[in-house]
Amino acid sequence: MIKRSVLALTLALTTLGTASADKVITGAFDQGPGGAPQQFNPLTNTAGFTWLNKYYSTLVLYDAGFKKISGDLASSWVVGDGGKKYTFILQSGVKWHDGKPFTSKDVKFSLELANNPDSGSAFAAKFGNIRSIQTPNTRTVVVTLSKPNAALLDALTSFMILPQHELSKIPARELRTSTWWRTEPVGTGPFMWSRHVPDQYVELKANPNYYKGKPKVDRLVNRYFKEQAAAVLALKSGNIDFTYLTLDDTKTFSGSSVSILSGPSQVANYLGFNNASDQFKDIRVRQAMLHAIDRNTIIKQLYGGGAELAYCPVTNSRYVPKSVNKYAYDPAKARQLLQAAGWNSSQNIEVITYYTDQLSKDVLVTLQQMFAQVGLKITPRFLDTPTYNQVTNGTAFQMVYAGIGNGPDPDTLYPSLHSDFMPPNGTNRMRVNLPAVNKLFEQGQETAAVAARTKAYQNVCSLVNEQLPWATLWTAKRFGGATKDLVNFVWTPAPGGGRYDDQAHLWDIK
Amino acid sequence: MGTYVVRRLLTTIPLLLVITAIIFTMLQFTPGDPMDAYIPPDQVISVQQREIIRTELGLDQPKPVQYLRWLGKAAQGDLGYRIKNGEPVTSEIARRLPPTLMLMGLGMTLGVALGVFFGVLAAVKRYTALDNGLTFLAFLGISTPAFLAGLIGMYVFALKLQWFPAGGYQTPGDGSVLDTLSHLILPASILSVTYIAVLMRYTRSSVLDVVFQDYVRTASAKGVPHTRVISKHVLRNALIPVVTVIGANVANLIGGAVFLESIFSWPGTGQLYLDAIDSRDYPMIMGTTLVLATVILLANLITDVLYGAIDPRIRYS
Repeated sequence: MIKRSVLALTLALTTLGTASADKVITGAFDQGPGGAPQQFNPLTNTAGFTWLNKYYSTLVLYDAGFKKISGDLASSWVVGDGGKKYTFILQSGVKWHDGKPFTSKDVKFSLELANNPDSGSAFAAKFGNIRSIQTPNTRTVVVTLSKPNAALLDALTSFMILPQHELSKIPARELRTSTWWRTEPVGTGPFMWSRHVPDQYVELKANPNYYKGKPKVDRLVNRYFKEQAAAVLALKSGNIDFTYLTLDDTKTFSGSSVSILSGPSQVANYLGFNNASDQFKDIRVRQAMLHAIDRNTIIKQLYGGGAELAYCPVTNSRYVPKSVNKYAYDPAKARQLLQAAGWNSSQNIEVITYYTDQLSKDVLVTLQQMFAQVGLKITPRFLDTPTYNQVTNGTAFQMVYAGIGNGPDPDTLYPSLHSDFMPPNGTNRMRVNLPAVNKLFEQGQETAAVAARTKAYQNVCSLVNEQLPWATLWTAKRFGGATKDLVNFVWTPAPGGGRYDDQAHLWDIK
Repeated sequence: MGTYVVRRLLTTIPLLLVITAIIFTMLQFTPGDPMDAYIPPDQVISVQQREIIRTELGLDQPKPVQYLRWLGKAAQGDLGYRIKNGEPVTSEIARRLPPTLMLMGLGMTLGVALGVFFGVLAAVKRYTALDNGLTFLAFLGISTPAFLAGLIGMYVFALKLQWFPAGGYQTPGDGSVLDTLSHLILPASILSVTYIAVLMRYTRSSVLDVVFQDYVRTASAKGVPHTRVISKHVLRNALIPVVTVIGANVANLIGGAVFLESIFSWPGTGQLYLDAIDSRDYPMIMGTTLVLATVILLANLITDVLYGAIDPRIRYS
């Protein structure tokens, strides 16, 4: 009897030993603006890339600073035929998680799937000008475009390559809601699907055959929290190792075992005018609004210094010319401009926003006060996203307070500023219709030469700054919190979670 | 009694019809349609793609047709598919209902046990410091919203004292019964707070009503021991109205659970409901409404039946 108990105890201790030897990193990777909790279909996802890229891979990817694009599944590439032909050479020896070899056929299949309207893919707009995809051998993919597209590589950094041998079995129309994505997905990334407890967490395990080497930790767990506050408390109490933080959260971590990570959000906050409405036809009204806002004070007082002034929707400093008008705080000038424009100060402007966090509420109340001082009456209205979308799909709105995710390549702004993309055809919700801007965006795609592209986007910046279809305000910083036990942990805030080289296979925990 | 139950069950059917019809109509007046929630604001999608999705979701049909279609299928036990991810609504609810029932069950048990106990205690020790203290706590409990109580509870017991995990249903990789229980205790206790407070107030006043009745005085005068007078004569009669309160508060309990599930990342129907409303997921909203309404109606029926069981004067005719 005693013998048996001892045996049982030893066995229990051994199991306990193995269990604790498992290195696990648990995070709330889908919290915050970059997350897409429980959305696992990379064809339709516009966010959540921080998590998706742990088990899928892309052809190319940005470095963590979003400066340079390097290869991932593609080891090298050549652009030819004046920017119309992209030849990718693929990494050798890459295997899918189920052991099947990864080949150029998978790349062709994935790109074609993205362009098939039945798949509901979000990439169709970006890959629409792909004319043909050839696979001369298993390691070469040749993509031919109908017209040059210098932004193709940027788009490819967030496009996950999918397994043909698995997904060709499912009709494209059923793929959108297929259970495959959340029950048995197969990728080529550093981690592979282990299990999904709906609404609770997803667990990935190390991919021993990852082409850059086996990951240092055994498991990666993504826990779901409905409330951001709950995720922050879980981080504080040591239940998880990582989550997004708000500026206010960061102040409550002083001297703790958590490191605060921060970086530019790459999201420009702006006051958008409904360009189809007569109310804002006079540019002096739009200019007055910018002069009426003491942006430096807002950044200092409300953002605690954690934001930078922005003068046009393009936030990558390379594309912002030095000469742009700064629209300095000048209430007297604002009053004068309004008077000159014949603004009736008794009329009220409703400013709608989908932001519901405290900081945004404070910002809008402050704007309301600043505007009141020059004779502009605004009423903020906080909407949920579906309502905001519905309202801005129509033209019965006046102004919005919103954010635009830029990414490192200004081409991202194309569908928001080009007149071809006015609803229902796209996301130019402010009905911006500036032919010169249209032309510059087209140029930006068609010219591969760096200098010419830079010039084109600098001109976009200058023009938008001058014409003010939007009043761009600032770019805020975003924050993450990670326990100090994490080693080699790379995290950068980016729109949609971004796709950058976070070296997840090197992540470790003490 | 049997006929009464059957009749009551039959009357729930038109009631449920009315409830679902009202919710469906209200949904039509809610701004934003499921497509706007389904497609993120920054996603460029062609008109053709939009139409494909719209047809697939059945949103291209006239509203009454949509409702009748839903109703026809619901009658056969098919609640449709969740717009967000295509998962069958019934299986989502089936997965989410047990955690909610568990949370509500423990919350209610704690609430009834402690609420009645403290209520009797307060009545017996009326106008003492203990009674005043309990009354103060009861008002505090009634006036603290579940959301705030949840956050405070989590801060104190999960973060500061570290007695319980900070939310979640199971620890990833564990999932034993004990583990689930350790996650359950904190939210269930917090959920019971309002219940304890409400029941305590009712029990107290109900006991006080009965305590001065003639039959109680007679029993005491006859020399029946005090504890026996309380348990046999006072409690039995005082608890009759309390049972009604227990039943009537099930709806409140669900309301509290909705908030607590969000704070504690508890994967129940409450959280599911909020999620569905956020994303204008019509089939999910309708399905959850139907199930939660049924739970509330059943709870009320059980209360009424129990009422008769403890009060023989009640006749179901």
